[in-house]
Parts: sequence; C-alpha cells; structure tokens
Amino acid sequence: MALEDYKADMERCSQCSYCKWIPLDQIKSWRFAKGCPSIAYNNFNSYSARGRFAVALSLLNGQSTYTDRVLDIVYKCATCGSCDVSDKICRYNLEPLEMMHELRFRLVEDGQLLPQHMLYIEHLRKQDNMMLETRAERGDWAEGLDVKRITSEPAQVLFFAGCRFAYDKDLKETARTAVTILKNAGVDIGIMGKDESCCGGRAYDMGYKGEFIKFAENATQAWKAAGVKTVVTSCADCYHAFVRLYPPLGTKFEVLHTVQYLDRLIKEGKIKFRKKIPLRVTYHDPCHLGRQGEPYVPWQGKEKKILNQVVVYEPRKPRYNGAWGVYNPPRDILKSIPGLELVEMERIKEYSWCCGAGGGIKEAYPEFSNWTATERIEEAKSTGAGAIVSACGWCERNFTDAINTAGDKLKVFDVVDLVKKAM
Amino acid sequence: MALKEELASIVSPEDVSDDPVTLDTYSRDMSFAPPIKPRFVVKVENVDEVKALVNWANRTATPLVPVSSGPPHFRGDTVPSVPGAVMVDLSGMKRIFRIDRRNRVAMIETGVTYPQLQPELNKQGLRLPMPLLPRANKSVVASLLEREPTLVPRQQWSSLDPLRCTEIVWGDGQRLATGDAGNWTSMEEAWKKKQAASGPGGPGQTDFFRFVSAAQGSTGIVTWVSVKCELLPELHKLFFVPARRLDDLLDFTYRILRFRFGDELLILNNFTLASILGVGAKDIKARAMKLPPWVVLVGIAGRNILPRERVEFQEKDITDIARQFGLQLLPEIPGAKSSEVLEAILHPSREPYWKLDYKGGCQDIFFLTTLDRTPGFVSKMHSVAGACQYPVSEMGVYIQPVHQGASCHCEFTLPFDRNSSKETTRIQTFFTRASEEMLEQGAFFSRPYGIWANLAYSRDAQTTMVLKKIKGIFDPNNVMNPGKLCF
Amino acid sequence: MTLSREAYQAFEGIVGPENISDDPALLDSYRYPLSHTAIHLGPYYRVYTPRGEAVLLPGSTEEVQAIVKACNKYRIRFKPSSTFWSAWGYPLEDNTIQLDMRRMDRILEIDEKNMFAVVEPYVIGATLQAEAMKVGLNTHMHGPGSSCSCLASATSLGGLGPDTFYMGNHSENMLGAEWVMPDGELLKVGSVGSGLGWFNSDGPGPSLKGLVRGMQGANGAMGVFTKCALKLYPWPGPKTLPVEGIVPAYKAVLPDNLRSYTLGFPTWQAWADSCYMIWEAGIGYIAHRQFNMFGRDLKGAMIMILADPTKTLSDLDELMKDPEVQKMNEDMERDYQIVLAGMTPRDMEWQEKALDKILKDTGGWKVQGMLEPNLHDWSLLYMVRLGHKNLNLVYGGGYDGCFGLGGSPDYGTSGTPPRVEEVTAFKVEWEKKGNIVAAGGDAMMGGIGGMGGGGMTIWENFTHFDPHDKASTEGTLEFFNAAARYGMEKGWGPGMEKMNAYARGSDGRTTPREERERIFLASAQPAAFRYQRKFKEVFNPNDLGDGYYRTLDEPKK
Repeated sequence: MALEDYKADMERCSQCSYCKWIPLDQIKSWRFAKGCPSIAYNNFNSYSARGRFAVALSLLNGQSTYTDRVLDIVYKCATCGSCDVSDKICRYNLEPLEMMHELRFRLVEDGQLLPQHMLYIEHLRKQDNMMLETRAERGDWAEGLDVKRITSEPAQVLFFAGCRFAYDKDLKETARTAVTILKNAGVDIGIMGKDESCCGGRAYDMGYKGEFIKFAENATQAWKAAGVKTVVTSCADCYHAFVRLYPPLGTKFEVLHTVQYLDRLIKEGKIKFRKKIPLRVTYHDPCHLGRQGEPYVPWQGKEKKILNQVVVYEPRKPRYNGAWGVYNPPRDILKSIPGLELVEMERIKEYSWCCGAGGGIKEAYPEFSNWTATERIEEAKSTGAGAIVSACGWCERNFTDAINTAGDKLKVFDVVDLVKKAM
Repeated sequence: MALKEELASIVSPEDVSDDPVTLDTYSRDMSFAPPIKPRFVVKVENVDEVKALVNWANRTATPLVPVSSGPPHFRGDTVPSVPGAVMVDLSGMKRIFRIDRRNRVAMIETGVTYPQLQPELNKQGLRLPMPLLPRANKSVVASLLEREPTLVPRQQWSSLDPLRCTEIVWGDGQRLATGDAGNWTSMEEAWKKKQAASGPGGPGQTDFFRFVSAAQGSTGIVTWVSVKCELLPELHKLFFVPARRLDDLLDFTYRILRFRFGDELLILNNFTLASILGVGAKDIKARAMKLPPWVVLVGIAGRNILPRERVEFQEKDITDIARQFGLQLLPEIPGAKSSEVLEAILHPSREPYWKLDYKGGCQDIFFLTTLDRTPGFVSKMHSVAGACQYPVSEMGVYIQPVHQGASCHCEFTLPFDRNSSKETTRIQTFFTRASEEMLEQGAFFSRPYGIWANLAYSRDAQTTMVLKKIKGIFDPNNVMNPGKLCF
Repeated sequence: MTLSREAYQAFEGIVGPENISDDPALLDSYRYPLSHTAIHLGPYYRVYTPRGEAVLLPGSTEEVQAIVKACNKYRIRFKPSSTFWSAWGYPLEDNTIQLDMRRMDRILEIDEKNMFAVVEPYVIGATLQAEAMKVGLNTHMHGPGSSCSCLASATSLGGLGPDTFYMGNHSENMLGAEWVMPDGELLKVGSVGSGLGWFNSDGPGPSLKGLVRGMQGANGAMGVFTKCALKLYPWPGPKTLPVEGIVPAYKAVLPDNLRSYTLGFPTWQAWADSCYMIWEAGIGYIAHRQFNMFGRDLKGAMIMILADPTKTLSDLDELMKDPEVQKMNEDMERDYQIVLAGMTPRDMEWQEKALDKILKDTGGWKVQGMLEPNLHDWSLLYMVRLGHKNLNLVYGGGYDGCFGLGGSPDYGTSGTPPRVEEVTAFKVEWEKKGNIVAAGGDAMMGGIGGMGGGGMTIWENFTHFDPHDKASTEGTLEFFNAAARYGMEKGWGPGMEKMNAYARGSDGRTTPREERERIFLASAQPAAFRYQRKFKEVFNPNDLGDGYYRTLDEPKK
C-alpha cells in the first residue's frame, strides 16, 4: 500500500486523542496513564497518531512541505504501536501504525533522511548488521558453543540470534544460554553463526523498506536452502519481523519466541527447576512480542459499506489490536520459577509502555530514548520489584543504559537468564 | 412634577409613603448600620412597576433600596447607606403562580414567605428546604438570594440550590429572565409543552442569577424565582447524635455527607438548640444546661417510594456509623425530644423571633469554611469572647454543611440586651474584634454584610475590581443600593 | 499572515524555543476538519478550521499571563485548548495563536475529607477518576468521556454527563477557578481568591462564577483557565478498577454493591415516568441512554460485538439477523442504562427494591440480555469509566447530533405521536437516501438528568456518516438543514445540529456578522448577548477572543 491509500484514515481519524493514552479503561493512576512516548516527550499534537495523520494529510494535500520539524515529527516515533491498540478500542477501522510506516517509507523515498539513521543503514548495507560492528565477528557470540551450524548440518529448528544478541557484549550470554537450554531439552537446534544477517526489521521501522525486503529475502532463501521449518529467536524485533513482516513476502516458517518454546518445555516437564530465586520481579512486555506479536493473517480485499455508511471489508479483514500477542508464556515461566515473585506494572500486555529502543529512536534521539526507558524504570520501581525482566535484547539494553546513566540499582534480566539461574 | 407625584404615577398614590414613622422603620435595623432615612417608601406590585421605577431612578439619579421581607432586619443591607433613597418594597408581590408537582418546581414572586408557600406546596405533596427557623415574614426569594443555608445539604448540587430561575430588573432598567425561563418566549407556551423552570444556568454563557446573589440589592431587583422543591415526606424522623466536643462529631458528619444519608443534617450547640425550643430567657437557660454541649441533628425521611423501608435501613446504618465513631443515634436527649425539634425546624420561627427571645437583641457572625476547621473557629470565638467578657455559655453555634458538604456555614449567634448600653457597647466591640479574628483564622465572609465587606474585599483586590466592573455594567448610574459591598 | 519576528521572539522568550512552533505541517495538526465530530454546524466536506500563526505550550499560570499580555501588546488573538476534541478549541480567524495546555497537567490536590480536587487544564477524566478512586472518591465524568479535560468541561463547555443526576454538572461542581483574564490579569474566583482554599466558588458577594460560565462556557474565547477545583463524589468500590478481558472487550467484575442494568419500558410515557420516580427516590449513580447512540436497530448487535474480542463491524449483518439479538433490540427500544451504587449493603438492598418498585409501577423491566454476566461487567465498566466515547464514530468516522428536545422528560416524550417518534420517523426517511447510517431513525442518546438531582433529559440524535465520502458528508449537511427547518416548523426551536453555527461558518471562519445578529436577535432574550458584549468590552477590550463568545453587537433599538 502507499501513503495515499491511508487518506481515508487520515480523514476519518476521530481526533479523540485516545492514541496518546493507554486504553482509558486500564488507567490506574495519573502517573502511568500515558501510552505514546512521542507525544509524552515532545508535547505538540503532531507527535501523536492523530497528529501524524494530520501532518501526512497536509503533506499529501500540498499544504506543507518537508521541514526539519516534519522530519522530527515523523522520525521521533518509536513505532511502538501503543496508539494502534488504543485507537482500535473503538476505531478498528483505522490503521495508524501502518500509516506511520508508510509515512516513513515516503520520506525515505523522497530523500528526507536522517543522518543518524543513514549511519546505520549504510553500515547495514556493508556489514549486514545494525550494531556498527563487522560482519566477520557476527558468529563470535557462539564461539565454542556445541551446536549445529545449519549451513553445514541441517536442523529442525533454527535459533536466530539477531544483531543485538549477537554483538552486545553483555547480552551474548543470554543467546548462548537460550540455545544451550533448548538443545539440552532435546530440541534439534542449529544456528547460522557467522552466516546470519540482520532480519531487516529495524531498517523497516526506520523507513527503509527496500533494505528490509532485501534482508528478508536473503534470510528466507538461506533458511529454505538449509531446510529450516521452525525459527526461534530471543529477540522481539526479529520475532516481529518473522511473524508479521516476512509472511506478506511469501515465507512459510513456524516462528516462535524463545519464551514460547521454553514455556512449552517447562509444561512438558522437559525443563526442571532446582534452585529458588528469591526475588521480586516485574515483567516488561516488548512491543514487538506483545501487541505487535500477533500472528499474521493473509488478507487481500477492499473496503465496502453496509447499512449505507458502515465501513467494513470484503472479505472480512483481520484486526491487529494486540489482543493475541505473546503475553502469557513469559509470565507462566516466571511464575513457575521457585521463589520468584512476579508483580505487574500498571501498563502491561497490549498497553505496555515502550522501552524506547525501537523505531530508530535509540539511534537518532538518544535523549528521548533514554527518557522513555527511564519512565519505564520508574514504573518498574513503583511495584517494589528488584528487577525488570523482559524478552528482548533491545529492551534490556535500553533499560541497562538508562539505569547506568541514572546510577540506579534496579537489575535487568532476560527471562532466559532467570530460567538458567533456576535450573 | 414633584418626586412624590412622579412615583405615584408609576405605582399608585397609596403605594407611596413619606410618613415619618414609616420612614423611620426603614431607616434602621437590628444591626449597627448607621441609621439613614429614606426619602420615600414605594410598594410595587408587578415587574412593570419595578422597571418603570428603576428607569425613573436612573433619570433622577435616585438611589433605590429593595426590600422584600418584613421586619426586623438584621444585616444592614436594607438600611440605606446614602441619603435620599427610595425603598422599593416588594413584600406585597405575593403570587405563587405555579406549582409543578411533576417537575417539583414552584414559581413565586418576591414577597412570598415561607408560611405562605409551604402549605401550598404541601397540598401538592411538596415542600421547600428551609433555612433554620426563618422569620415568619422572611421573603423566600430574599433568603435564597442571600444564600442562606438550608438544612438538607444532600439536596444542594449547586451552591445556590434550591434557587433556579429568576426574573431580574437590572439597575439599568433591563428586564432579564434567567435559567431555563431565559430561553422561553412565554411561560404559557413553555408550560403547554410541559417544560419546567428547572435549570438555573444561562441564558447563554453567563449565569446572570449569580450576580444578584448576595448582592444586597446592589445590582438589580428580582421579581420572581423558580425553586426546586422536595417531596413531602410520608414518614419523617429526627435523631440526635450528642457529644461533649465538637471534634467528636466531625468524622461522623463527614461519613453521613459522603454516603448522602439522611435529610436534615446540622450541628448545634446547646445554646442554639435551647433557643429554638425554649420560651423566654429562663426556659432557654434551663434547657441549655440540660442539653449536651453539642449535637448533630439527623433527619431521616421516607417519601413516595418505600418510605418505611428507607427510614428503617437508614436508621440502622446511621446507628452503625455513629457507633463506629463512639457515638449514639438517639430519639431523645436530656432537654429535647425529636418530635419537638422536628416540629420546630420544619417551620418558620414563632414570635418573638427565636434569636431575640433570650435578650431582645442579637448579632450573628457567620461565614463559610470547611467542616474540619469549625472547631478551630469555635475555639477562637471562645477566646475572643473571654477577652471581651462575653459569656460563652450564651453564645449560640450553628454549623451547617452546604453544597453536599463541599463547604460549611459556620454561625455564631450572640444575644445581648439592646436596652443596656453596657451590653450594646460590649457586643459592638466583641462583634468587630471577633469578625477580624475569624478572618485572620480563615473565615470566608462570602455574604459580606456591614464591616465584613471591608474585611472580605481587602483580601481579594482582583475580585473587588472585577465586581466593580460588573456593577458598572448592570448599574451604570449606581442607583441600586449604593454603598453596599465594595460599591 | 505570519507573526512578526518580534512577537514570535516575545513568545519564545516566555515558553522557551522547544515549546513554540510555527511550522506549517505542525500547525496543520492543530486544525479541525469540519466534516466531523460534534461540531454542531455543517458538516462541511474538506473544510478545516484556519491555521493558527503558531502554537505555544505554556507550562505555568505565569507563562499564560505573560503570553496573554504579549497578545494584548501585539494585538494577537489567542485560543486555548486542552484535549482538542471538537472544533470549538481551534482558531476562528487568522492572527490567532493556539495555546496547547498539555504541559499543565497536574492534579494539584485531592482533599479526601472535603471531597474536592484541584486540577490543571490537561487533567483528563480518567486520570482524575483513577486518583480519586484510590481514596474512595469519584469524579463526575462529562459526556464526551474520560479522555477529555475536566477543567474545560467545568469552565468552558457544557459539563453534563451520564452521572449528572447524582454527581452534578461540572458547572455545579466547580468550587473555584483560576482565570487569566483576556487582559492578562489573574482572577481567582471564589474562596481561593481570598487565599482561603478551594471550597466555595461564590463570593464575596455576587458570585463571579456567573461571569465564568452560564449554561455553557465561553469555549476558550474569554481568557484562559489555568486551575479549577471540582467537587468529588463517593466511590464505594475498590481502589482501582479490576479490569479484565481481552482488548477491546474489557470488563470489570465489581462487588455486588455496584450493578448495571438496562431498563426497558412499554411506552414513552412510562419511560418519562420512570425518570421522575428515580429522581424522587434518590436512587442511582449513573443513568444515561447511552447505547442507543448506535441506533435502535443496531444497538443489540453492536453490544455483542463490543463485548466480544473476536467480533468486529463485519459481524453486524449476521448479528442483526440473530433472533436473540433482535429480541434484545425490542426489549431495549425505549431504554436507558442505570448503575446502582450502594454505600452500604442495606442501601444497595433498598435501592434495588426501589428500582423494582419503579419498574413495577411503570410496567418497565430489566433487559434480560444485559444481565448476562459478560455483558453486565462490560456495560458496568463502560458506564463507570466512560472510556469508549470514540464509539460515537465507530461506523464510518463521522457523527454529529441533531434535534435535542432538551427539557423535562415529558417534553420529548409527549405528543401524538411522541416527539421522539416524530424525530425517529423523520430521520428514517433521510436514512433511506443512503448518506447516513441506516440505524433505525432513533439513535438518540442523552442523560437522565442534565443537572444534579435530575430535572432534564436531552435527545441528541446521533447521525453517523463518513467524513471521507463527499456524498455522505454533503448528504448529512442536507439532512441537518432539513432537520433544523423541521424543528422550527414544529415549534421545537433550534436544534443541536446548528448549535455552533453562530460561531463558525461554512468556510471554517467566524460566521458573518449579519448571520450572528440574526441568530441572536431571534433568541428569546437578545439582551443576554448585549450584556455579553459589554462583558467583552470591559474584560477583553482588545477583542482577542473569538466569536464563540456570543455577543450581539448591534445597538439596542
């Protein structure tokens, strides 16, 4: 679809401002009521979904042109999808997140690029990763790991590390742990090691659709060639790319997040816990695993009207509103760990507050990214938890960076880390 | 034309008086406002006369002082502050021109009194919440415009309830109907369409009726109002919740307000309750000694829907609530039975007016605050009384939550012997000093009579300035009771 | 026209460079489409409110005062708004700056004992309610729902809502306000002006709350309100709402002292009788004809869709054919929703009995379908939090309300046929033309009691259309023009469809003077608007507001 295809949405936007808040029913306090980090930080109306509908319409209608401010409005969005969920409480015939992506694609097509993003995209083109690291070191995270390399030895299940887990010196261990646990639980698992490339998801979010497609096609080809049927990843960004962005390109793999697999194995008794972890934790739902982690449902159709002016679709259109994201598996895992006490933050599941790492924010607007993460840290601390746990390397990195900047003491874990500790 | 003739051509000759005795009665009241004789007293009978009078006053630069209640007056607001004024007496405008049972709205002229109105309302199964034992000749409209508190706080959604619509002749001679009535082309048309004068807001983006409230007649003259009535109870009980200290009653009262239980809800000290029930100084004194120092009066009424069940459950629940705070809900206390108190508070005062029965004179100090602050004010009053050698045992206290408990009317009644120059001097000193101390303590003199006007407006310069501008719009020639408030 | 450099720098110096912008695209996010929501004029296809010269985000009362004084110096109009839902918050003319009050979003105080809160402009109903519930209190929730500014409702707009008969109208609830007047001076209305706290809005002497607002507020056309105090009400429920369910079908399983019913009645007379009886009995916590906004023929199906996370509008057709749903529609034809809240078990018991008696006496009933636990819990949460008011626009993105028939319940429900049925029949004919949703004619939503204690009902007939569709939008305009004429012919007076036509015209700008004068002169008391002109002359001498403040400018003849 093109940006023009969202003109109807732009004109039908209710102007209700629900996009700025978590679903109103779920508000439990003044402090943690906001849903959209962009407008919470930047304040002008244009930094919300309704605002971006208006800006996009203004551009399409030729009422305004690209300015630094327009770029700021378009790129200072974490593409977290909070607005999408809140909008669809009532108006599920609106697609603000899709429109936001199209708006970015249009800016990129028109050459309205952010130098901060270009740095990463250029690097991606040359070195196949979003971490400004060298391609040659891609597989180093798995050095010494006794696990199949699928390029030379077929396996049922591919563990996809993703750029963050592959290169982040603090988080590599989590990836190693995930693979090891799965393998030891009897999963026929392999990795791509140095042959792995970026999933392309973050390039997509930044607005570089072409780059994304290229990486998606490369990955798909490699997996097909290796006979992969199932892909498991610990990275929510990659998970989202594989579950939602790849299938429209024709891919047909089963995709699981590590937490889904672990949850299954624990319930089947194939993973047993022998140690207690006496810790109060709170779980952060990554945007791309939670509200944006719903399965893709193929659809090709058009709008039609019934009862004169009720907008529906033919055939019936699937609704992505965060209802069926991956929420329970990580929670079930944490609840099953002996001694661990799970307390919930106010903003959870489909109305979780973003960590601030996505949408190109961390790369281009580090202060905004840090602020977003800090907000989440404050929320975590308000529960009395001693640790924040997530299932995404980007979330964990951003929380760790924010905590270090503030000199805070809250611990950050991946679900996998705690599973390992308890085993 | 001589002034008197001009006036006689507006009303009728028999309605214009410059009789010295008559003028003298209007020149003074029970307050310490310096007496100033009016030039004439004019009785009006309808809005056209009022309009013509106001227009005349503007032409001739004659001050007008509206009055609608009978004597004695207490606040100084109906005593002219400048010479040459004409009293506009609306007490003869006594039409009750509509009682709408269905919508529980009555429309009455300004001269209607409570004894006149209540029986008519009762015939239709209605009644109007009243202040605490008003004078029998007190104008209902005047009471409402003065923002006198009524006894049933849970029925006050608006701070001016039960006042709804009004008809006003402003100081510039313009007639305006306010509220729902302000949007009608005619009352008869509206009534045919089953509309009622329920809503007080507007017309437009201004609540005009608020500019005549507590205005002491200094912005315009109200000729009729609509009032929101309540249903006449089929079953009505009154209970006492006594305590030695006022503080002990507050949490209980707050809980009743929060739950919106009961009907009448007010706190009296022993002297006030004794004054209401007693006849003559000796009886009042004796009762005051018997009565507990403080008591909450809680009325519980059942109306047309399951009345008995309502009274029963509320009696039980309020008993439980009282118990939670170490109190008791009682039908009788030493010195008072619920039947006699209920009878008293549901009617205007007998003669002599209950506040005058003890010593023949009294001064009131009242203001708004919040319920939790009232013990502090009582304590301060006692200390000022001590310093002024005023006997605390003769001081009445009346605490009335208003606006569903958002604020609280706090009133001190100070009886004194008007025939004793010593007591008169003492009360003047006490009144002035106590008023100043109350202000210092945080009293909100929202109805700023007499010296309270200076006290109140000195604390809020911006309001003073804006009010003067409002006055300048509605009464550009300052004919309406000049010298009152900050005008 | 653009701001002079000097003026821009003056404003920038007040709020800081990060809180001001004159970027055209950004300013276009501060324009409201007049083919849209509750604008009560038009709708006008692809017409927008004019672009402001700049938008400012003030952070304090001092900044607001400085801005307003600067506006007076440079003769620039200013228009404040908080949650920006509906056209009245936007400029009417060029040479106007938009004030976005978003940064002033604090709940300054909640006095649990005396039951009031002090709020800044950007506090919305949901956050105030959430904080109030923690101390056993609740706030009146204004009709457009919990995403809207409480202060705006109290000071500047209407103030009614589904709970008004119990929790008052926000104008009744306003215990004081801090008002930056159009000349930049600061007025604190009520006891707060004397430095005594926020407990009373009247005095000393005549109440200046009367200048702040009447039946309506000034819609941002007379100065800027920076704080207000609001009366709160008891909440006999848990400290947070226990919300469950899969999005969007949230529900709340609340204790037994909080119950939601949909009541149905055999005749409109019975419906009206029940309103009076409920007010007289003093029962009920929230009462509103809410779900009928979906339309008489559609509401049953819509409720089933909204309470089920797997259903969407695509299920409408099928659900409408379901006999169970049809039965529910029939039961709900003459309906409203009511929530009972018992402060104690005995209180709840009595209220239930009283309600049963009222139903018995009027021949009414509790709609069985809505007693099903899932629907009960869904509707209870809906009514308490009022967080789904965007559903006004669910069908195609546009809605506005026509007729109104505001007044006593008897007014709307009497006549042969009852006025509400006349309105229904009229709209059904227009639905046949295809430009508005075929909802069954009656999509009338309104409160049971437009003021505290009851006394008024209103019948805003929701008209759903597609603002993206020219024929739909223009067809709706035609319908509203016809509805306005019909109402006048019937002697019902002006309806809601043209309520704001005095302020803004078909080009999105101030209605021409002649038209404004015609409207005000046709009102029952033009004097009211002449007085408002005088207020404007005195308090807004440089005329820096806009036409939303109603002034009749022609001299009195």
